Amino acid sequence: MPRETPSLADILADARVWKLKDASATPSRPVWSTGRRALDARLPGGGWPTASLVEVLLETTGLGEIQLFLPALLACQQESEGENPWLVWIAPPYEPYAPALVQQGIDLKRFLVVRPASATEALWAAEQALNAGVCAAVMLWLQGSDERWLRRLKLAAEAGGALCVLFRPDRHRFESSPAAVRLLMSRAAPGQAADEAHLELLKVQGGRPGLV
Amino acid sequence: MKARAAKPQTADLFAPVATSLRDSLPRPALPRPALFSRLKQLWYVVVFADLPVLEAAAMLQRLSFAAQAFTPLVSIEPPNALLLEIKGSVHLFGSVQAIHAAIDAAWSPYRLQAQSATAPTTLAALWSARAGLSMCIEDPHLLAGGLAELPLACTCWNLEWLQTLRRMGVTRVGGVLRLPRAGVARRLSPSVVRDLDVALARQPAPRRAFIPRERFCERCDFETEVETVVYLQKALEPVIERCARFLKERQAGIQILELRLRHRVRSRSRVRIGLAGVTSDPCRLQEVMNQRLCRLELPAAVRGMELRSGALQPLPADSLDVFAGLRGHGRAGDMAPQLVERLRARLGRQAVYAIAPIAEHRPECASQRVHELQLASLGSARGRSSDVPVGDMPRPVWLLPAPVLLATDAEQLVRQGLMLAQGPERIESGWWDGQDVARDYYRARDPQGANWWVFRERHTRRWYLHGVFA
Repeated sequence: MPRETPSLADILADARVWKLKDASATPSRPVWSTGRRALDARLPGGGWPTASLVEVLLETTGLGEIQLFLPALLACQQESEGENPWLVWIAPPYEPYAPALVQQGIDLKRFLVVRPASATEALWAAEQALNAGVCAAVMLWLQGSDERWLRRLKLAAEAGGALCVLFRPDRHRFESSPAAVRLLMSRAAPGQAADEAHLELLKVQGGRPGLV
Repeated sequence: MKARAAKPQTADLFAPVATSLRDSLPRPALPRPALFSRLKQLWYVVVFADLPVLEAAAMLQRLSFAAQAFTPLVSIEPPNALLLEIKGSVHLFGSVQAIHAAIDAAWSPYRLQAQSATAPTTLAALWSARAGLSMCIEDPHLLAGGLAELPLACTCWNLEWLQTLRRMGVTRVGGVLRLPRAGVARRLSPSVVRDLDVALARQPAPRRAFIPRERFCERCDFETEVETVVYLQKALEPVIERCARFLKERQAGIQILELRLRHRVRSRSRVRIGLAGVTSDPCRLQEVMNQRLCRLELPAAVRGMELRSGALQPLPADSLDVFAGLRGHGRAGDMAPQLVERLRARLGRQAVYAIAPIAEHRPECASQRVHELQLASLGSARGRSSDVPVGDMPRPVWLLPAPVLLATDAEQLVRQGLMLAQGPERIESGWWDGQDVARDYYRARDPQGANWWVFRERHTRRWYLHGVFA
């Protein structure tokens, strides 16, 4: 007599079965769209997570890395209802150009640039900005790697609830990082006629890493 | 007929001084009920004739403190007089004579020669005080009569005018009042007529009240020389605590705090702290001071210190919502200045700034750093992000500090694999200040996909990289 085949519900009810979290489940924190549908679909909740660390590894500047965050910057500045609308850019590689940001619709009255003298000071400034609770987004450009500091940064981001983005050169891709999302941006291979940069998710908490 | 007779009379009231006064003086009564009923002031003026010239300003300020016991409106008249508005205080003392005597008595500890007078207008009281007549006029109707006998010297007018008047045989104020108004204005100065009008309460002359300018200042000498910043921080803690209490008592805040350190071997050094907002919060002062001291390298051992505050400023009104602190909302507006000053205290003032667009065609001039941050008024500034038109041609997020030479001609550019994607946008401007530009801007893509903002200089035909679209 053949055994009765168990139903799917029975299998799922079994405590020994471990369920991978559904990538499309809505997280409790708000997420902000990246502006690219392919990337949105790969991120849990459908966008950049707030209150956690997002790390972007860049081969070079000019790959459209700010474009990926512009919709998020705009949305979080507008929707924060005057409570914490500040955008803070710490140690950007060049001087941010005001007309470009105004064109994109960013409120420059709530925009702050910080130029620290060293990487440690940059991390300290980022931690202060996140802890103050007045920032909607903190973006930080770093060269070095100090895992202890990155962990502190992540804790501050989780406590502050803001979008925290860390840009680093792509040589740090093989180092471990506490970031919730790690994205590698590189140029398209020569010969390949790509009009957009090459994106690869190295790590996604609650999602699947891989090429986008 | 009656009406016609009345008409010139009323016109006479407010028109030329001389014609209306000629008939009435020395009988002083001038029917001016409407104007006098509005006059609700009584001025006590004291003139200190022998005030030392060098210390006059400081001395007058000290005397003003004493005068503020009688009235809140004390005004300083340089070089040597104080004006007190005492109408509201008369009732407290019973009569004008009583308050006059009480204020006179207040000057006796200073051992100064004080001449005082009381009148409904500032200038009338001032003139009679200068003349040394201890006049006390309450009724505005008696002003003209009271002033008529005063010598002209007490008006402190220009010496030329006084000589002209003396040649005309006029030595007393009453004599000037009798002269035709237009003639006086033409021959001497319109300000003479205006002074007379003010003295006779025909014209208002508001005075600015003296507001004492206080600062917190405390000195502290160390028993042994201090060589580490940590000890300095410890020593500062109670001083800052006292400073905060001082501010709280006055319901005021400060924006500038200065620490002066005295050394044995070299001249004193200063640590200056600018706060982003007006505050009296001891924790905030302490924190910013500590951050600043962390960066400080003591040039030499410190013998003593002095903490001075900047000018006291009224505190911005706080939210009276009891639950604001619990919800964590009410403090949001307050936290941004704190963040900025904390960052500035450690990283330096120049390291934290905002950026703003400028209406200018040359790209390198169209953006500027803003160090004076507008941190308050969150609500009002929202909505419109900028008044400066920025156009709709593409602009890069990053602008290089100076253009970088890419190629000397178009062929070389093509060999580098650069493709022009959008453009040209011609920018030709600045011929008037010697930094003229004549450029064609393009949006270009390098073979690996990076977006550049390049331009060709029209005179030299060279290609430059000026920005990066990120």
